[in-house]
Amino acid sequence: MARIHLTPDLSAMLDFDSVGSSITRQHRRAGGGRKHAIRRMAGEFHSETEWTLRNISTSVQAGESVALIGLPDDGREEFLRLAAGTLIPDEGVVRRKEIIIPMIGVVPALDRSYTFRQNVYIVGGLLGMTPNEVESKVDGIAEQAEIEGRLDKYLANARPIVRQKLAWSICMAVETRAYAIDQLLVVGDGEYRDHCWAALERKRAEGITFLVSSDTDEDLMRFCDRAIVISQGAIIAETSVEEGIEIRKALIPDSKRKRDKARVEEEDDEDYEDL
Amino acid sequence: MLRMLVLRDLQKTYTKLRLGYLWTLLEPLGMSIVLWLVFSVLLSRHIGQQPYALFITVGILPWWWFTKGIAQSTRSFKRNTNALRISLLPTQIWVLRVVLVSMIEFIFSLPIIVLAMILTRTMPSPLIILFPVAIFVQFLLMYGLGLLVASGVAIVPDLARIVRIAMRALFYLSPVLYSITKIPDHIQPFAAVNPIVGILGLYRIGFWSSEIETPWHYALSFGVILVIISVGFLVFKRLEPRILKGA
Repeated sequence: MARIHLTPDLSAMLDFDSVGSSITRQHRRAGGGRKHAIRRMAGEFHSETEWTLRNISTSVQAGESVALIGLPDDGREEFLRLAAGTLIPDEGVVRRKEIIIPMIGVVPALDRSYTFRQNVYIVGGLLGMTPNEVESKVDGIAEQAEIEGRLDKYLANARPIVRQKLAWSICMAVETRAYAIDQLLVVGDGEYRDHCWAALERKRAEGITFLVSSDTDEDLMRFCDRAIVISQGAIIAETSVEEGIEIRKALIPDSKRKRDKARVEEEDDEDYEDL
Repeated sequence: MLRMLVLRDLQKTYTKLRLGYLWTLLEPLGMSIVLWLVFSVLLSRHIGQQPYALFITVGILPWWWFTKGIAQSTRSFKRNTNALRISLLPTQIWVLRVVLVSMIEFIFSLPIIVLAMILTRTMPSPLIILFPVAIFVQFLLMYGLGLLVASGVAIVPDLARIVRIAMRALFYLSPVLYSITKIPDHIQPFAAVNPIVGILGLYRIGFWSSEIETPWHYALSFGVILVIISVGFLVFKRLEPRILKGA
């Protein structure tokens, strides 16, 4: 746990001090014509730095549930990752009092070629659980995710909904005082959702801090105390959830920024041995 | 956690193939036999120490570990992006993992050296106790170098290809097939800038005492190893924010 630095004597749970995070995008020389053909072939780049978040200063008190409201790709995910420490800021400082569990992309982190049990160990381990801790909790997690008896089956054939349930259950089993959740607030359907809500409300009553980013307004209104509205990499308002949602609705028409998030898969992934 | 990842990886490689563990032995064994045939029988050159069959296995096995580990560490961050996104553990473990897995495979393949010893009826001197030391030093070198190339590749993907070429060059520049004592005298003092020289020397010192005569080589090699490790860690620390951003 060497990477995440904690500040135990911080008064708030989480504190952002003029934090910025940027991405450097490299463009191949564009445009047609013969003039640039050789430059294109030589792979000439020009790179440009784009700030996904900048000058973010805010803090979250222990026990609060804060909704992050914004349009897609406006920096909410980065905000959560910075909060949890799975992203390191380029500017400013993020201080956190205790470990914040990142529930951001847990489902893709499940490995299809492993069994349910192995996945519990791996994801649990990534989230900071010790093997003994997982050992004692694995049955509880299986019960929670409704996969008892299937623990030693491989995940490859599991339906997406089952994977979501598994990811959610593992995260909920971690002993922590804070969560940073992206979209995965409640999973499953019908009765299972109620069951999720009950578990979340219980945690909230215990004084656990939640940072939630979701596009489902009803969930935010039901669960969160206040809202932080993020637009184009800056905090534009810190208000109540209802007002935050209103602000976002007003934002929709004039936002035209779309980010190409398709990640380029590495093309030479085959095994090779040199000799 | 790390132990678990390593065990899973080993399990995966050994259950996927029909012959499982045997492949750990067969692959380098086949390579050793081919090279032995070429250099000892076909060309009948005396480029190494005698018995050459043993000499070549002691060279090939560590080299096999080295290339495998480094080749895999070039991909170690790319391959684990999904896990990196939620991982609260130190980022280095993904490199440490591939280095450890290849190390364990190397240790599993050591029976080949025993086999070669039996076939050539050679007994090692007490200096064979330096063999584990060599394993440890090679592990340190690979950890440092692995971090360096893994962070580099995460930023500039082209580096993976350069590493591939560099590894091939290094194979011929290292005394895997030949003995360090057989290269021209005027290059001798500088040969050990290549850290593999020192490591292979430690592996071989128990079999061929003439390798002892080059203390300068060891000092130089281990100095270079220390430099590589420190550079590896520094570069990794500098690039860590960007590695995470790419995840």
